Amino acid sequence: MLKSRLLATAALALGLITAPALAQTVLTISSEQTTTFVRNFNPFNQTSARATTKDFIYEPLAIFNRLAGAKWEYRLAESFELADDLKSISFTLRDGLKWSDGEPLTVDDVVFTYDFLKKFPALDFNSVSALMESIEKVDERTVRFNLVQPNSLVATTIVAMPIVPEHIWKDIEDPVTFTNENPVGSGPLTEITRFTPQVYEQCRNPHYWDAASLHVDCIRLPQLADNPQVLAALADGTLDWATSFVPDIDNTFVAKDPEHHKYWFLPSSIVAFTLNLENPDENARKAFNDVNFRRAVSMLIDRQTIIDIAGYGYPVINEDPSMLGQFYAAFANPEVAEKYGKYGKFNPEDAKALLDESGYKDADGDGFRDNPDGTPIAIDIEIPNGWTDWIDAVQIAMESLKEAGLNVKMSTPEESVWASDLIGAKYSMSLNAIASAANPYFPYIRSFNPDDFGKSRTSAQRWTDPEVVEMLNKYTQLKDPAEQKAVMDAIQLKVAEAMPVIPVYNSPSFYQYNTKRFTGWASADNPITSPVVSNANPGRLIQLLALRPVAQ
Amino acid sequence: MAFLLRRLAFYLAAFIAAATINFFLPRVMPGDPIQIMFAGAGSDLSLENLNALKLTFGFIDAPLGEQYLAYLKSVFTGDLGRSIRFFPLPVTELLARALIWTVGLVGLATLVSFALGTLLGVMAAWRRGTLLDTVVSLSSIFSSSVPAVVVSLIVLFTFGYTLGWFPNGYAANPMLDPGWTWEYVSSVLYHGTLPMLTMVLVLTGGFAVTMRNNMINLLGEDYIVMGRAKGLADRRVMLWYAARNALLPTVSALAISLGAVLGGSLIIEVVFNYPGMGNTLYQAILARDYPVIQGELLIMTAAMLTANFIVDLSYVLLDPRLKKA
Repeated sequence: MLKSRLLATAALALGLITAPALAQTVLTISSEQTTTFVRNFNPFNQTSARATTKDFIYEPLAIFNRLAGAKWEYRLAESFELADDLKSISFTLRDGLKWSDGEPLTVDDVVFTYDFLKKFPALDFNSVSALMESIEKVDERTVRFNLVQPNSLVATTIVAMPIVPEHIWKDIEDPVTFTNENPVGSGPLTEITRFTPQVYEQCRNPHYWDAASLHVDCIRLPQLADNPQVLAALADGTLDWATSFVPDIDNTFVAKDPEHHKYWFLPSSIVAFTLNLENPDENARKAFNDVNFRRAVSMLIDRQTIIDIAGYGYPVINEDPSMLGQFYAAFANPEVAEKYGKYGKFNPEDAKALLDESGYKDADGDGFRDNPDGTPIAIDIEIPNGWTDWIDAVQIAMESLKEAGLNVKMSTPEESVWASDLIGAKYSMSLNAIASAANPYFPYIRSFNPDDFGKSRTSAQRWTDPEVVEMLNKYTQLKDPAEQKAVMDAIQLKVAEAMPVIPVYNSPSFYQYNTKRFTGWASADNPITSPVVSNANPGRLIQLLALRPVAQ
Repeated sequence: MAFLLRRLAFYLAAFIAAATINFFLPRVMPGDPIQIMFAGAGSDLSLENLNALKLTFGFIDAPLGEQYLAYLKSVFTGDLGRSIRFFPLPVTELLARALIWTVGLVGLATLVSFALGTLLGVMAAWRRGTLLDTVVSLSSIFSSSVPAVVVSLIVLFTFGYTLGWFPNGYAANPMLDPGWTWEYVSSVLYHGTLPMLTMVLVLTGGFAVTMRNNMINLLGEDYIVMGRAKGLADRRVMLWYAARNALLPTVSALAISLGAVLGGSLIIEVVFNYPGMGNTLYQAILARDYPVIQGELLIMTAAMLTANFIVDLSYVLLDPRLKKA
């Protein structure tokens, strides 16, 4: 009797303890690598807020889904409309939106956010204010952004800005140092239920507008400092969703549980060799400014070997002389490959023939090719110390460059020295990464806009062309997709002809997932969205909403 | 008294000099925090982001003189500013988080190695020429000359990865909530074992060698012979006659090591991913987080000078000649 009562009590107690755990579905994520978590959910602190702030706490107005048919997925906004003269854009919010504290989310919050950005320019991480003439409330659900100049791509910039609740933020005196410890947001997961420097949990927004789609109650984020730690947590099955470089992934991760451990790598930023056209070394500069020399260097890069050896086979090859590659395949101009495609492929024989033909011969008998005027060419390839995959890539490239008679060596300064050398054009040759964006307009303008020279690393080759810049400016002022395409085609042809940047590969964006507890993951067979969980990819929200817990 | 005043003046000057170096050192390193944010290969920041970052962390663009004055003021008010990497966390809060782990790990390891090293040194000197002496002396010299990075990697690889007896990182199981529960405390001890073992291996040898040498010098003294002649037990002569006197110089070495404790042990903490002061400093240097680097160097300077000052004071008490000088 006593025994059975005891048992019953024990069972009851156990039930009480385990009941909430059973009721909640928790998704474990590694989205950022850090040595300690600081409780900061300020969506405008782009370098220091927790990586789950954007998208999960502050939902975007809309998300451009590059994969599933390259279309807009509307979130807080139910639509947007670009004016015919491209001088304004209107967003219409969904009906009945609420903040996580139950207050209504209205057009006034949008107008407030943009006024706030003007008032505190340190918050305006996309420099979006500079594009705006004014922001006005058209009606209860519609807001119109009047632009300084016509811009067909402005929606991309606008949706990247989080919208914050006026009733909370209007009282914040110093929003730059405000840590927003208990955020009031619009996204699916707004409630911080646990926070220590080593782990935090973020749970369901009680007033989420799209609650019917959300099947995850909480996300848990353990603190992991570097790639090996993320790998350890992936391998033992702790993590459901991660973004991390994992060496030899088939053996180190998949093999631990082939049924559930999966990955899918999508092409992302362009990695390319850049030759400094404003090289302080006069002799190398002469060679670099000759398109035939650049073409020959490009044909001397053994891209596939670099990918297989330096990149564990993960990157996607980029042999596109217009530099865009597979990431922007939807925008490709087939004429580029036809006319200039051969300059993007590894072909040492043709490269040597082109160098001979253009007069790069060994004039002084030192075993290296010299300029047609006899001056020697010495090339120093600068790579940041510790970036081992890039160092391997350069070593592979150097073999064929040397074999063709070019005098190349490598130096490995510290990362920040490398960055400032590239920005200031104080280098000879280097590898560079150009961030991916929704539209090829962005890599082009960031690389070839002379106004950016000396400001950003992306323009390090110091190549520009008035015609290309003019066409790029025109591109953003066109509304008709056919006209846009014609201009983008012409730009690609022009760039491919000059080959100012020598693309090697598109680096992969890393995405690992575990199907043991959740299904619905994006994959090569099911490309519903870009599923990378880093805070640079709003598509992760679509992935979150696609997840379904597996009955245990 | 004059001696003390002179020492005090010396320490004040040393402090200001060190504080000044602390300010300029991070700034002569190439690159600044914003550049580092943009340099990373995976960085998604573009030129449009630059303006907001410059406005947020604008203080690094101010003229150097202005920054220096603001810094000097902060030194004496204790307001060390905000971290750049962990913006907007105040530096004092960031360091307080790390300090507790470092004091526990490095402080304890220093005391244990001191006790152990001293004891081994005493015994080796007392039985010099025997097998014990040979083993202790050789292994001490060996362990104190192998760099900490080698020892920590061997320990981590053997007991952490290969045998899997101990965890490879953290100060405690991250899934547990900190508190005075048995579960949490035992987790802290479990996670602290390997870094602690490494530190003791690295530090003990040095203390043992010093102690042995001091001891051997004293063993020839008349009062030792006297003690033996009186028929005192060996152990009593060893500990109360020889070791006690030989200990004096090592105490000042200990005080200085304790002063250095606050800096943490950079290499060991980095290898074991232990969230102490050394790891914090390393991360701050990588990110060129000027306020954190300055703040931490300042605390280390202050601790070091305080430890030295205490040693000076104790000398005054121990050596009456200094009172007159």
